[in-house]
Amino acid sequence: ENTFNFTMQKCVYVNVQGLQVFLFLKRSCFSFLFTVTVNALEGKDCKESVKLIAESTNLSEEQLAFLISGMYTLLREALRLPLSTFKQEVSSGNTWSPDKLKAVSDASYHLNPICQGGERPASEGTALMQRSRLPSVQDLKWRVDVAISTSSLARALQPSILMMMKLSDGTAHRFEVPIAKFQELRYNVALILKEMNDLEKRSILKIQD
Amino acid sequence: GLTIFVLQTESIFSEEEEEKLQIAFSLEKQDLHLVLETISFILEQAVYHNLKPASLQQQLQNIHLDQDKAETFASAWAAAGQDTIEKFRQRVLTPQKLETIGWQLNLQMAESMQAKLKSPQAVLELGVSDEDSKNLKKVFVEFSHQELFEFYNKLETIQAQLDSLM
Repeated sequence: ENTFNFTMQKCVYVNVQGLQVFLFLKRSCFSFLFTVTVNALEGKDCKESVKLIAESTNLSEEQLAFLISGMYTLLREALRLPLSTFKQEVSSGNTWSPDKLKAVSDASYHLNPICQGGERPASEGTALMQRSRLPSVQDLKWRVDVAISTSSLARALQPSILMMMKLSDGTAHRFEVPIAKFQELRYNVALILKEMNDLEKRSILKIQD
Repeated sequence: GLTIFVLQTESIFSEEEEEKLQIAFSLEKQDLHLVLETISFILEQAVYHNLKPASLQQQLQNIHLDQDKAETFASAWAAAGQDTIEKFRQRVLTPQKLETIGWQLNLQMAESMQAKLKSPQAVLELGVSDEDSKNLKKVFVEFSHQELFEFYNKLETIQAQLDSLM
């Protein structure tokens, strides 16, 4: 808890210095910086853009570093919280409230849309959403076969299911699912879906952010 | 009389067991092997043609096997025949088979990149056996509500195919 606060304060400290610099930036430069930061959050390569910024302004390397890291941290933290949080915190003394950001009138032009709803940048769908999770099913291929006859049985007439499961971590699993096991799988999946529905309806999820 | 053991194709008597059998039936090693192979063959044919015990007895008598021996085969087959055939039906050529299914439903509250989540996540644990290694490989797969729903729809499609076979 304490270390977190310290880090947050350090960022604020950095940002305070950065924000002072914001005031002297032209709006075009600021919006360019903003775009670059969003690209960075989306995981795109920004080396070229950063070089361009460095050349087009007369900021020192140190000031530029402050600016970019400050903006990155700001955006990342702003995007971490769901939209509904901001509506309540506007009037509180929270460091990240858009009120404080409003003080920097030029900055608010870009940052308000993020904090107060409207369109969030694509970063929400990409780099920020690369959560730590177990692999999910990327692709599922299957086939149903009926064995007419085998080396052991002249008339087998036994259906079988073959599944080819590709997971998001790149692994692929091919296995046969006996009919009885398949029914068990189907039953369990339906059961989990029902449980999920019940869970989503319960009051615990109606707690306000 | 001759007592018959119903053999599953893969069961092999160990050296000790063979010796005991030799002594029990006063047979030489080669003769014992011959007897065991003959019994195996008869039972394999019974499985292959899905013979009823009565048919089996008839067939054996047709090849001039003693009445009492034929009867013994028939009664042993009546007792264990169906199960044996069913076991062979279930055998597949694919080495990997789904054996166990486990699951867990979680409610994710937060993570390093996102706070205040409240998103339900399901984790399926599939135990896949490997015929070669005899080990159960555990495959863990995570699903969001939407992903699970899509998975369920695929299973329903498979079920529809199975139903159309009936």
